[in-house]
Amino acid sequence: MKTTHLTGQTLIALALALALVIFPLIVSSPVTRNLMILVFLYAGLAQAWNIVGGFAGQVSLGNAIFFAVGGYTSTLLLQHVAVSPWLGALAGAALAMILALIVGWPVFRLGGHYFAIATIAIGEIALALMANWEAVGGARGLTISFVRDGNGRPADTWLWFQFNQNKLPYYFIALALMITLAGLTAWLDRNKPGFYFRAIKNDQDAARSLGVNVLRYKLLAFVLSAAFTALLGTFYAQYLLFIDPESMLALRLSVLIALVAILGGVGTVWGPILGSFVLIPLGELSRAHLGGSGRAVDLIIYGALIVLISVFQPAGLMGLGRRLRGR
Amino acid sequence: MALLEIQGLTKIFGGLTAIDDLSFRVEEGEIVGLIGPNGAGKTTVFNCVSGFYEPTKGRLHFAGHEITGWAPHRICHLSMARTFQIVRTFPDLSVLENVMVGAFSRTGNRGQAKQAARRVLELTGLAAKADMRGGSLTIADKKRLEMARALATKPRLLMLDEVMAGLNPTERQAAVELVRRVRAEGLTILMVEHVMEVIMPISDRIVVLNYGRKIAEGRPETIALDDQVIAAYLGEKYRGSR
Repeated sequence: MKTTHLTGQTLIALALALALVIFPLIVSSPVTRNLMILVFLYAGLAQAWNIVGGFAGQVSLGNAIFFAVGGYTSTLLLQHVAVSPWLGALAGAALAMILALIVGWPVFRLGGHYFAIATIAIGEIALALMANWEAVGGARGLTISFVRDGNGRPADTWLWFQFNQNKLPYYFIALALMITLAGLTAWLDRNKPGFYFRAIKNDQDAARSLGVNVLRYKLLAFVLSAAFTALLGTFYAQYLLFIDPESMLALRLSVLIALVAILGGVGTVWGPILGSFVLIPLGELSRAHLGGSGRAVDLIIYGALIVLISVFQPAGLMGLGRRLRGR
Repeated sequence: MALLEIQGLTKIFGGLTAIDDLSFRVEEGEIVGLIGPNGAGKTTVFNCVSGFYEPTKGRLHFAGHEITGWAPHRICHLSMARTFQIVRTFPDLSVLENVMVGAFSRTGNRGQAKQAARRVLELTGLAAKADMRGGSLTIADKKRLEMARALATKPRLLMLDEVMAGLNPTERQAAVELVRRVRAEGLTILMVEHVMEVIMPISDRIVVLNYGRKIAEGRPETIALDDQVIAAYLGEKYRGSR
Protein backbone atom coordinates (compact mmCIF):
# COMPACT_ATOMS: atom_id res chain seq x y z
CA MET A 1 0.00 0.00 0.00
CA LYS A 2 2.74 2.40 0.88
CA THR A 3 4.57 1.62 -2.36
CA THR A 4 1.56 2.49 -4.51
CA HIS A 5 1.06 5.69 -2.55
CA LEU A 6 4.64 6.67 -3.23
CA THR A 7 4.39 5.91 -6.95
CA GLY A 8 1.19 7.93 -7.09
CA GLN A 9 2.97 10.88 -5.54
CA THR A 10 5.88 10.49 -7.92
CA LEU A 11 3.49 10.53 -10.88
CA ILE A 12 1.83 13.69 -9.64
CA ALA A 13 5.23 15.25 -9.14
CA LEU A 14 6.32 14.37 -12.66
CA ALA A 15 3.08 15.64 -14.13
CA LEU A 16 3.39 18.89 -12.23
CA ALA A 17 7.02 19.30 -13.25
CA LEU A 18 6.08 18.72 -16.87
CA ALA A 19 3.26 21.24 -16.65
CA LEU A 20 5.58 23.84 -15.19
CA VAL A 21 8.16 23.22 -17.90
CA ILE A 22 5.58 23.68 -20.63
CA PHE A 23 3.87 26.60 -18.90
CA PRO A 24 6.08 29.47 -20.15
CA LEU A 25 5.79 28.20 -23.69
CA ILE A 26 2.04 28.70 -23.44
CA VAL A 27 1.85 31.76 -21.23
CA SER A 28 4.25 34.42 -22.36
CA SER A 29 3.16 37.33 -20.18
CA PRO A 30 6.25 38.70 -18.40
CA VAL A 31 4.17 39.57 -15.34
CA THR A 32 3.02 35.97 -14.97
CA ARG A 33 6.51 34.63 -15.58
CA ASN A 34 7.90 36.94 -12.93
CA LEU A 35 5.24 35.76 -10.53
CA MET A 36 6.11 32.13 -11.21
CA ILE A 37 9.80 32.85 -10.67
CA LEU A 38 8.97 34.38 -7.30
CA VAL A 39 6.79 31.36 -6.47
CA PHE A 40 9.68 29.01 -7.30
CA LEU A 41 12.11 31.17 -5.33
CA TYR A 42 10.00 31.22 -2.19
CA ALA A 43 9.16 27.54 -2.57
CA GLY A 44 12.90 26.88 -2.62
CA LEU A 45 13.54 29.11 0.38
CA ALA A 46 10.70 27.46 2.27
CA GLN A 47 11.92 23.99 1.37
CA ALA A 48 15.40 24.86 2.62
CA TRP A 49 13.88 26.24 5.83
CA ASN A 50 11.73 23.13 6.14
CA ILE A 51 14.80 20.93 6.58
CA VAL A 52 15.80 22.58 9.85
CA GLY A 53 12.48 24.13 10.87
CA GLY A 54 9.93 21.61 9.69
CA PHE A 55 11.70 18.28 9.90
CA ALA A 56 14.14 18.84 12.73
CA GLY A 57 11.78 21.21 14.49
CA GLN A 58 14.42 23.88 15.07
CA VAL A 59 12.57 27.06 14.18
CA SER A 60 14.91 29.47 12.46
CA LEU A 61 13.72 33.05 12.14
CA GLY A 62 16.94 34.23 10.60
CA ASN A 63 17.33 32.25 7.39
CA ALA A 64 17.44 35.53 5.49
CA ILE A 65 21.01 35.87 6.67
CA PHE A 66 22.04 32.92 4.50
CA PHE A 67 20.08 34.41 1.61
CA ALA A 68 22.17 37.56 2.03
CA VAL A 69 25.43 35.65 2.43
CA GLY A 70 24.74 33.95 -0.89
CA GLY A 71 23.74 37.09 -2.76
CA TYR A 72 26.43 39.34 -1.33
CA THR A 73 29.26 36.80 -1.66
CA SER A 74 28.64 36.08 -5.32
CA THR A 75 28.06 39.76 -6.11
CA LEU A 76 31.18 40.99 -4.33
CA LEU A 77 33.29 38.25 -5.92
CA LEU A 78 31.85 39.24 -9.28
CA GLN A 79 32.51 42.94 -8.83
CA HIS A 80 35.94 42.76 -7.24
CA VAL A 81 37.49 39.59 -8.65
CA ALA A 82 35.43 39.03 -11.81
CA VAL A 83 34.38 35.58 -10.68
CA SER A 84 31.42 34.07 -12.47
CA PRO A 85 28.32 34.08 -10.27
CA TRP A 86 28.05 30.30 -10.67
CA LEU A 87 31.32 29.88 -8.77
CA GLY A 88 30.32 32.74 -6.52
CA ALA A 89 27.20 30.79 -5.67
CA LEU A 90 29.29 27.87 -4.45
CA ALA A 91 31.48 30.22 -2.42
CA GLY A 92 28.36 31.77 -0.93
CA ALA A 93 26.96 28.36 -0.04
CA ALA A 94 30.24 27.38 1.61
CA LEU A 95 30.33 30.57 3.68
CA ALA A 96 26.70 30.07 4.67
CA MET A 97 27.49 26.56 5.86
CA ILE A 98 30.37 27.83 7.98
CA LEU A 99 28.15 30.53 9.46
CA ALA A 100 25.50 27.93 10.27
CA LEU A 101 28.09 25.84 12.12
CA ILE A 102 29.38 28.84 14.07
CA VAL A 103 25.88 29.86 15.11
CA GLY A 104 24.51 26.36 15.67
CA TRP A 105 27.36 24.89 17.67
CA PRO A 106 26.78 26.94 20.85
CA VAL A 107 23.08 27.67 20.38
CA PHE A 108 21.78 24.16 19.70
CA ARG A 109 22.92 23.09 23.13
CA LEU A 110 20.23 25.36 24.53
CA GLY A 111 16.56 24.60 24.20
CA GLY A 112 14.62 25.13 20.97
CA HIS A 113 13.21 28.52 21.87
CA TYR A 114 16.67 29.94 22.43
CA PHE A 115 17.62 28.89 18.97
CA ALA A 116 14.72 30.86 17.47
CA ILE A 117 15.66 33.92 19.51
CA ALA A 118 19.31 33.62 18.54
CA THR A 119 18.42 33.51 14.85
CA ILE A 120 16.31 36.65 15.17
CA ALA A 121 19.17 38.39 16.95
CA ILE A 122 21.74 37.39 14.38
CA GLY A 123 19.52 38.48 11.52
CA GLU A 124 19.03 41.91 13.06
CA ILE A 125 22.72 42.28 13.81
CA ALA A 126 23.55 41.37 10.24
CA LEU A 127 21.04 43.88 8.91
CA ALA A 128 22.48 46.69 11.00
CA LEU A 129 26.01 45.67 10.05
CA MET A 130 25.42 45.51 6.31
CA ALA A 131 23.38 48.72 6.22
CA ASN A 132 26.26 50.62 7.75
CA TRP A 133 29.19 48.95 6.04
CA GLU A 134 30.10 51.16 3.10
CA ALA A 135 32.56 48.74 1.58
CA VAL A 136 29.74 46.32 0.77
CA GLY A 137 27.36 49.00 -0.40
CA GLY A 138 25.82 50.04 2.89
CA ALA A 139 22.15 50.92 2.85
CA ARG A 140 22.32 51.77 -0.86
CA GLY A 141 23.13 48.22 -1.74
CA LEU A 142 25.01 46.82 -4.70
CA THR A 143 24.10 47.07 -8.36
CA ILE A 144 25.36 44.52 -10.84
CA SER A 145 26.26 46.07 -14.17
CA PHE A 146 24.74 44.77 -17.36
CA VAL A 147 26.92 42.60 -19.53
CA ARG A 148 26.55 44.19 -22.93
CA ASP A 149 26.68 42.67 -26.39
CA GLY A 150 28.48 43.99 -29.46
CA ASN A 151 25.82 46.70 -29.97
CA GLY A 152 25.98 47.87 -26.39
CA ARG A 153 22.66 46.34 -25.47
CA PRO A 154 22.23 44.30 -22.27
CA ALA A 155 22.93 40.74 -23.31
CA ASP A 156 22.07 37.18 -22.40
CA THR A 157 25.05 35.35 -20.96
CA TRP A 158 25.18 32.02 -19.18
CA LEU A 159 28.76 32.62 -18.08
CA TRP A 160 27.85 35.76 -16.19
CA PHE A 161 24.40 34.50 -15.19
CA GLN A 162 22.43 37.33 -16.78
CA PHE A 163 19.52 37.09 -19.17
CA ASN A 164 18.38 40.55 -20.16
CA GLN A 165 16.72 40.04 -23.51
CA ASN A 166 15.09 36.67 -23.07
CA LYS A 167 14.40 36.11 -19.40
CA LEU A 168 13.25 32.54 -19.85
CA PRO A 169 16.42 30.92 -18.45
CA TYR A 170 15.69 32.53 -15.08
CA TYR A 171 12.38 30.70 -15.02
CA PHE A 172 13.97 27.32 -15.72
CA ILE A 173 16.85 27.84 -13.31
CA ALA A 174 14.44 28.73 -10.51
CA LEU A 175 12.27 25.75 -11.42
CA ALA A 176 15.31 23.48 -11.43
CA LEU A 177 16.32 24.70 -7.97
CA MET A 178 12.83 24.09 -6.63
CA ILE A 179 12.75 20.58 -8.09
CA THR A 180 16.23 19.80 -6.75
CA LEU A 181 15.20 20.85 -3.26
CA ALA A 182 12.03 18.79 -3.57
CA GLY A 183 14.12 15.79 -4.52
CA LEU A 184 16.50 16.36 -1.61
CA THR A 185 13.63 16.72 0.83
CA ALA A 186 12.00 13.55 -0.46
CA TRP A 187 15.29 11.69 -0.06
CA LEU A 188 15.77 12.98 3.47
CA ASP A 189 12.19 12.08 4.33
CA ARG A 190 12.76 8.42 3.45
CA ASN A 191 16.28 7.93 4.78
CA LYS A 192 18.22 7.98 8.03
CA PRO A 193 18.85 11.72 8.31
CA GLY A 194 15.14 12.47 7.89
CA PHE A 195 14.16 9.86 10.47
CA TYR A 196 16.68 11.30 12.89
CA PHE A 197 15.47 14.89 12.24
CA ARG A 198 11.90 13.89 12.98
CA ALA A 199 12.93 11.93 16.06
CA ILE A 200 14.72 15.02 17.35
CA LYS A 201 11.66 17.12 16.71
CA ASN A 202 9.36 14.68 18.50
CA ASP A 203 11.52 13.95 21.55
CA GLN A 204 15.18 14.82 21.78
CA ASP A 205 16.01 12.75 24.84
CA ALA A 206 14.27 9.65 23.52
CA ALA A 207 16.27 10.14 20.33
CA ARG A 208 19.50 10.33 22.34
CA SER A 209 18.68 7.10 24.12
CA LEU A 210 18.37 5.44 20.69
CA GLY A 211 21.84 6.48 19.58
CA VAL A 212 21.04 9.74 17.80
CA ASN A 213 23.80 12.33 18.08
CA VAL A 214 21.35 15.18 18.45
CA LEU A 215 23.81 18.04 18.14
CA ARG A 216 25.37 16.62 15.00
CA TYR A 217 22.05 16.13 13.25
CA LYS A 218 20.73 19.55 14.23
CA LEU A 219 23.88 21.04 12.73
CA LEU A 220 23.46 18.94 9.61
CA ALA A 221 19.91 20.20 9.13
CA PHE A 222 20.98 23.78 9.69
CA VAL A 223 23.96 23.52 7.36
CA LEU A 224 21.88 22.04 4.53
CA SER A 225 19.25 24.72 5.01
CA ALA A 226 21.90 27.44 4.94
CA ALA A 227 23.65 26.16 1.82
CA PHE A 228 20.55 26.04 -0.34
CA THR A 229 19.22 29.33 0.96
CA ALA A 230 22.52 30.89 -0.07
CA LEU A 231 22.28 29.44 -3.59
CA LEU A 232 18.85 31.03 -3.91
CA GLY A 233 20.39 34.29 -2.72
CA THR A 234 22.80 34.26 -5.62
CA PHE A 235 19.95 33.51 -7.99
CA TYR A 236 18.00 36.47 -6.62
CA ALA A 237 20.99 38.79 -6.99
CA GLN A 238 21.49 37.80 -10.61
CA TYR A 239 17.76 38.03 -11.34
CA LEU A 240 17.26 41.57 -10.06
CA LEU A 241 20.84 42.70 -10.62
CA PHE A 242 20.44 44.67 -7.40
CA ILE A 243 20.71 43.72 -3.74
CA ASP A 244 20.45 45.71 -0.55
CA PRO A 245 20.21 44.90 3.16
CA GLU A 246 16.52 45.73 3.33
CA SER A 247 15.49 43.28 0.63
CA MET A 248 17.79 40.47 1.76
CA LEU A 249 18.08 40.71 5.53
CA ALA A 250 14.85 42.09 6.90
CA LEU A 251 13.20 40.04 9.63
CA ARG A 252 9.99 40.01 7.60
CA LEU A 253 11.78 38.00 4.93
CA SER A 254 12.83 35.38 7.47
CA VAL A 255 9.30 35.30 8.82
CA LEU A 256 7.83 35.01 5.33
CA ILE A 257 10.09 32.08 4.50
CA ALA A 258 8.96 30.27 7.63
CA LEU A 259 5.35 31.21 7.01
CA VAL A 260 5.31 29.76 3.50
CA ALA A 261 6.47 26.41 4.91
CA ILE A 262 4.13 26.57 7.88
CA LEU A 263 1.13 27.47 5.75
CA GLY A 264 1.80 24.61 3.40
CA GLY A 265 2.59 22.10 6.14
CA VAL A 266 5.84 21.77 8.07
CA GLY A 267 7.80 18.60 7.83
CA THR A 268 6.16 17.50 4.61
CA VAL A 269 7.69 17.29 1.17
CA TRP A 270 4.91 19.15 -0.63
CA GLY A 271 4.03 21.67 2.06
CA PRO A 272 6.51 24.44 1.22
CA ILE A 273 5.70 24.19 -2.49
CA LEU A 274 1.97 24.33 -1.82
CA GLY A 275 2.46 27.20 0.60
CA SER A 276 4.38 29.20 -1.96
CA PHE A 277 1.86 28.63 -4.73
CA VAL A 278 -0.86 29.96 -2.43
CA LEU A 279 0.87 32.71 -0.48
CA ILE A 280 3.06 34.42 -3.04
CA PRO A 281 0.37 35.16 -5.62
CA LEU A 282 -1.83 36.29 -2.71
CA GLY A 283 0.90 38.66 -1.58
CA GLU A 284 1.48 40.02 -5.06
CA LEU A 285 -2.22 40.46 -5.71
CA SER A 286 -2.80 42.34 -2.49
CA ARG A 287 0.15 44.54 -3.31
CA ALA A 288 -1.27 45.28 -6.75
CA HIS A 289 -4.90 45.86 -5.81
CA LEU A 290 -4.62 47.45 -2.40
CA GLY A 291 -2.40 50.25 -3.53
CA GLY A 292 1.05 51.49 -2.72
CA SER A 293 0.74 50.84 0.98
CA GLY A 294 0.65 47.12 0.13
CA ARG A 295 3.72 46.83 2.32
CA ALA A 296 1.70 47.12 5.49
CA VAL A 297 -1.32 45.21 4.22
CA ASP A 298 0.64 42.10 3.33
CA LEU A 299 2.09 42.08 6.83
CA ILE A 300 -1.44 42.19 8.21
CA ILE A 301 -2.34 39.24 6.03
CA TYR A 302 0.73 37.30 7.14
CA GLY A 303 -0.01 38.00 10.78
CA ALA A 304 -3.61 36.95 10.41
CA LEU A 305 -2.52 33.76 8.66
CA ILE A 306 -0.08 32.89 11.45
CA VAL A 307 -2.86 33.22 14.00
CA LEU A 308 -5.37 31.24 11.92
CA ILE A 309 -2.94 28.43 11.20
CA SER A 310 -1.78 28.14 14.79
CA VAL A 311 -5.31 28.04 16.14
CA PHE A 312 -7.19 26.01 13.55
CA GLN A 313 -4.82 24.03 11.41
CA PRO A 314 -1.26 23.73 12.68
CA ALA A 315 -0.58 21.04 10.10
CA GLY A 316 -1.13 23.59 7.35
CA LEU A 317 -2.67 22.94 3.96
CA MET A 318 -1.23 19.44 3.80
CA GLY A 319 -2.98 18.67 7.08
CA LEU A 320 -6.20 20.06 5.68
CA GLY A 321 -5.85 17.80 2.67
CA ARG A 322 -5.32 14.82 4.94
CA ARG A 323 -8.37 15.73 6.99
CA LEU A 324 -10.54 16.04 3.88
CA ARG A 325 -9.35 12.69 2.63
CA GLY A 326 -10.47 11.23 5.94
CA ARG A 327 -7.09 9.98 7.16
CA MET B 1 34.06 -9.02 34.38
CA ALA B 2 30.45 -8.02 34.97
CA LEU B 3 28.52 -6.53 32.04
CA LEU B 4 27.56 -3.49 34.11
CA GLU B 5 29.51 -2.35 37.12
CA ILE B 6 28.44 0.58 39.29
CA GLN B 7 31.09 1.71 41.77
CA GLY B 8 30.44 4.22 44.49
CA LEU B 9 27.83 6.10 42.47
CA THR B 10 26.78 9.36 44.10
CA LYS B 11 24.48 11.98 42.60
CA ILE B 12 23.82 15.25 44.37
CA PHE B 13 21.34 17.85 43.09
CA GLY B 14 22.04 21.11 44.91
CA GLY B 15 21.25 20.23 48.49
CA LEU B 16 19.68 16.83 47.79
CA THR B 17 21.73 13.64 47.73
CA ALA B 18 19.66 11.51 45.38
CA ILE B 19 22.07 8.57 45.28
CA ASP B 20 24.61 7.88 48.00
CA ASP B 21 27.63 5.67 47.35
CA LEU B 22 25.78 2.97 45.44
CA SER B 23 27.62 -0.08 44.17
CA PHE B 24 26.35 -3.20 42.46
CA ARG B 25 26.95 -5.36 39.43
CA VAL B 26 24.85 -6.88 36.72
CA GLU B 27 26.26 -10.07 35.17
CA GLU B 28 25.60 -11.00 31.58
CA GLY B 29 22.40 -12.98 31.14
CA GLU B 30 20.87 -11.95 34.47
CA ILE B 31 17.58 -10.27 35.20
CA VAL B 32 18.21 -7.86 38.05
CA GLY B 33 15.34 -6.08 39.72
CA LEU B 34 15.81 -2.63 41.26
CA ILE B 35 13.13 -1.86 43.82
CA GLY B 36 12.43 0.64 46.53
CA PRO B 37 9.93 3.29 47.61
CA ASN B 38 9.16 6.31 45.44
CA GLY B 39 11.94 8.83 45.60
CA ALA B 40 14.52 6.19 46.46
CA GLY B 41 16.54 7.18 43.41
CA LYS B 42 15.85 4.29 41.04
CA THR B 43 15.22 6.36 37.93
CA THR B 44 18.15 8.59 38.89
CA VAL B 45 20.34 5.49 38.78
CA PHE B 46 19.06 4.77 35.29
CA ASN B 47 19.68 8.34 34.21
CA CYS B 48 23.26 8.24 35.52
CA VAL B 49 24.02 4.85 33.99
CA SER B 50 22.57 5.76 30.58
CA GLY B 51 24.37 9.09 30.41
CA PHE B 52 21.53 11.53 30.97
CA TYR B 53 22.97 12.70 34.28
CA GLU B 54 26.62 13.13 35.07
CA PRO B 55 27.51 11.36 38.33
CA THR B 56 28.78 13.59 41.10
CA LYS B 57 31.06 10.81 42.26
CA GLY B 58 31.73 7.21 41.34
CA ARG B 59 32.58 5.13 38.31
CA LEU B 60 30.49 3.27 35.77
CA HIS B 61 31.78 0.39 33.68
CA PHE B 62 29.88 -1.24 30.87
CA ALA B 63 30.93 -3.90 28.35
CA GLY B 64 34.55 -3.49 29.32
CA HIS B 65 34.59 0.30 28.94
CA GLU B 66 34.48 3.03 31.54
CA ILE B 67 31.43 5.04 30.55
CA THR B 68 31.35 7.62 33.35
CA GLY B 69 30.37 10.93 31.79
CA TRP B 70 29.66 9.51 28.35
CA ALA B 71 26.80 10.98 26.30
CA PRO B 72 23.64 8.85 25.94
CA HIS B 73 24.01 8.23 22.22
CA ARG B 74 27.54 6.91 22.70
CA ILE B 75 26.40 4.54 25.42
CA CYS B 76 23.61 3.31 23.15
CA HIS B 77 26.17 2.47 20.48
CA LEU B 78 28.01 0.44 23.08
CA SER B 79 24.86 -1.74 23.31
CA MET B 80 22.93 -0.36 26.24
CA ALA B 81 19.30 0.57 25.77
CA ARG B 82 16.68 1.95 28.13
CA THR B 83 13.02 2.77 28.34
CA PHE B 84 11.54 5.75 30.15
CA GLN B 85 9.23 5.76 33.13
CA ILE B 86 6.82 8.09 31.33
CA VAL B 87 6.60 6.73 27.81
CA ARG B 88 8.32 8.80 25.17
CA THR B 89 6.90 7.48 21.93
CA PHE B 90 7.57 9.61 18.88
CA PRO B 91 3.94 10.64 18.40
CA ASP B 92 4.17 11.84 14.80
CA LEU B 93 5.93 8.75 13.53
CA SER B 94 4.23 5.46 12.78
CA VAL B 95 4.92 2.42 14.96
CA LEU B 96 7.23 1.03 12.28
CA GLU B 97 9.03 4.36 11.91
CA ASN B 98 9.47 4.61 15.68
CA VAL B 99 11.26 1.28 15.70
CA MET B 100 13.24 2.17 12.58
CA VAL B 101 14.81 5.08 14.46
CA GLY B 102 16.19 2.47 16.82
CA ALA B 103 17.26 0.22 13.96
CA PHE B 104 19.11 3.06 12.25
CA SER B 105 21.59 3.06 15.11
CA ARG B 106 23.00 -0.15 13.62
CA THR B 107 22.74 0.61 9.92
CA GLY B 108 22.53 3.54 7.54
CA ASN B 109 20.51 1.60 4.99
CA ARG B 110 16.78 2.20 4.91
CA GLY B 111 15.91 -1.27 3.65
CA GLN B 112 17.93 -2.98 6.36
CA ALA B 113 16.52 -0.75 9.05
CA LYS B 114 12.99 -1.50 7.89
CA GLN B 115 13.64 -5.25 7.88
CA ALA B 116 15.19 -5.19 11.33
CA ALA B 117 12.31 -3.08 12.61
CA ARG B 118 9.71 -5.48 11.21
CA ARG B 119 11.46 -8.37 12.93
CA VAL B 120 11.34 -6.59 16.26
CA LEU B 121 7.67 -5.75 15.73
CA GLU B 122 7.00 -9.48 15.23
CA LEU B 123 8.88 -10.32 18.40
CA THR B 124 6.97 -7.77 20.43
CA GLY B 125 3.56 -8.51 18.92
CA LEU B 126 3.11 -5.09 17.32
CA ALA B 127 3.33 -6.16 13.68
CA ALA B 128 -0.38 -5.61 13.03
CA LYS B 129 -0.10 -2.01 14.20
CA ALA B 130 2.96 -1.12 12.14
CA ASP B 131 1.34 1.76 10.26
CA MET B 132 -0.54 3.30 13.15
CA ARG B 133 0.55 6.69 14.33
CA GLY B 134 2.66 6.40 17.48
CA GLY B 135 0.64 8.99 19.33
CA SER B 136 -2.61 7.09 18.86
CA LEU B 137 -1.65 3.88 20.69
CA THR B 138 -2.95 2.71 24.06
CA ILE B 139 -0.60 3.09 26.99
CA ALA B 140 0.10 -0.64 27.04
CA ASP B 141 1.02 -0.63 23.36
CA LYS B 142 3.12 2.50 23.81
CA LYS B 143 5.13 0.74 26.48
CA ARG B 144 5.56 -2.24 24.21
CA LEU B 145 6.62 0.09 21.41
CA GLU B 146 9.18 1.70 23.66
CA MET B 147 10.63 -1.71 24.38
CA ALA B 148 10.57 -2.62 20.71
CA ARG B 149 12.36 0.59 19.82
CA ALA B 150 15.02 -0.05 22.42
CA LEU B 151 15.40 -3.65 21.23
CA ALA B 152 15.96 -2.46 17.67
CA THR B 153 19.25 -0.92 18.78
CA LYS B 154 20.45 -4.49 19.44
CA PRO B 155 21.46 -3.94 23.06
CA ARG B 156 23.30 -6.36 25.33
CA LEU B 157 21.80 -4.65 28.37
CA LEU B 158 18.19 -3.49 28.41
CA MET B 159 17.12 -1.20 31.24
CA LEU B 160 13.36 -1.15 31.81
CA ASP B 161 11.87 1.63 33.89
CA GLU B 162 8.51 0.58 35.35
CA VAL B 163 7.18 -1.10 32.23
CA MET B 164 4.32 -2.59 34.24
CA ALA B 165 2.93 0.66 35.59
CA GLY B 166 -0.56 1.44 34.39
CA LEU B 167 -1.17 -1.98 32.87
CA ASN B 168 -4.12 -4.21 33.73
CA PRO B 169 -3.43 -7.84 34.72
CA THR B 170 -3.84 -9.17 31.17
CA GLU B 171 -1.50 -6.57 29.74
CA ARG B 172 0.93 -7.24 32.57
CA GLN B 173 0.94 -10.94 31.72
CA ALA B 174 1.81 -10.13 28.12
CA ALA B 175 4.58 -7.77 29.25
CA VAL B 176 6.12 -10.41 31.53
CA GLU B 177 6.00 -12.87 28.65
CA LEU B 178 7.82 -10.36 26.50
CA VAL B 179 10.53 -9.81 29.09
CA ARG B 180 11.04 -13.56 29.33
CA ARG B 181 11.27 -13.85 25.55
CA VAL B 182 13.75 -11.02 25.41
CA ARG B 183 15.94 -12.67 28.00
CA ALA B 184 15.73 -15.94 26.07
CA GLU B 185 17.23 -14.03 23.12
CA GLY B 186 20.32 -13.52 25.23
CA LEU B 187 19.80 -10.05 26.65
CA THR B 188 20.65 -8.91 30.14
CA ILE B 189 17.91 -6.99 31.89
CA LEU B 190 17.91 -4.43 34.67
CA MET B 191 14.36 -3.59 35.72
CA VAL B 192 12.89 -0.97 37.99
CA GLU B 193 9.51 -2.13 39.18
CA HIS B 194 6.90 -1.49 41.84
CA VAL B 195 4.69 -4.46 41.04
CA MET B 196 6.04 -7.15 43.39
CA GLU B 197 4.01 -9.97 41.83
CA VAL B 198 5.90 -9.33 38.63
CA ILE B 199 9.42 -8.60 39.68
CA MET B 200 9.92 -11.20 42.38
CA PRO B 201 9.25 -14.27 40.24
CA ILE B 202 11.11 -12.98 37.22
CA SER B 203 14.35 -11.66 38.74
CA ASP B 204 17.53 -13.61 39.43
CA ARG B 205 18.61 -10.96 41.90
CA ILE B 206 17.09 -7.94 43.57
CA VAL B 207 18.74 -4.70 44.64
CA VAL B 208 16.78 -2.59 47.12
CA LEU B 209 17.19 1.16 47.34
CA ASN B 210 15.97 3.49 50.07
CA TYR B 211 16.78 7.21 50.24
CA GLY B 212 19.45 6.73 47.60
CA ARG B 213 21.26 3.97 49.48
CA LYS B 214 21.38 0.25 48.86
CA ILE B 215 19.82 -1.46 51.86
CA ALA B 216 19.75 -5.02 50.57
CA GLU B 217 20.85 -7.17 47.68
CA GLY B 218 20.24 -10.83 46.98
CA ARG B 219 17.89 -13.44 45.67
CA PRO B 220 14.18 -12.53 45.73
CA GLU B 221 13.36 -15.10 48.44
CA THR B 222 16.01 -13.62 50.73
CA ILE B 223 14.94 -10.05 50.07
CA ALA B 224 11.33 -10.84 50.84
CA LEU B 225 12.36 -11.93 54.33
CA ASP B 226 14.71 -9.03 55.01
CA ASP B 227 13.41 -6.94 57.93
CA GLN B 228 14.93 -3.71 56.70
CA VAL B 229 13.34 -4.12 53.28
CA ILE B 230 9.98 -4.97 54.78
CA ALA B 231 10.12 -1.99 57.09
CA ALA B 232 11.22 0.42 54.38
CA TYR B 233 9.10 -0.75 51.51
CA LEU B 234 7.46 -4.15 51.22
CA GLY B 235 5.30 -4.13 54.29
CA GLU B 236 4.39 -7.17 56.38
CA LYS B 237 1.87 -8.35 53.80
CA TYR B 238 4.67 -9.19 51.35
CA ARG B 239 6.97 -10.91 53.84
CA GLY B 240 8.23 -14.08 52.24
CA SER B 241 6.52 -13.38 48.89
CA ARG B 242 7.74 -15.00 45.73
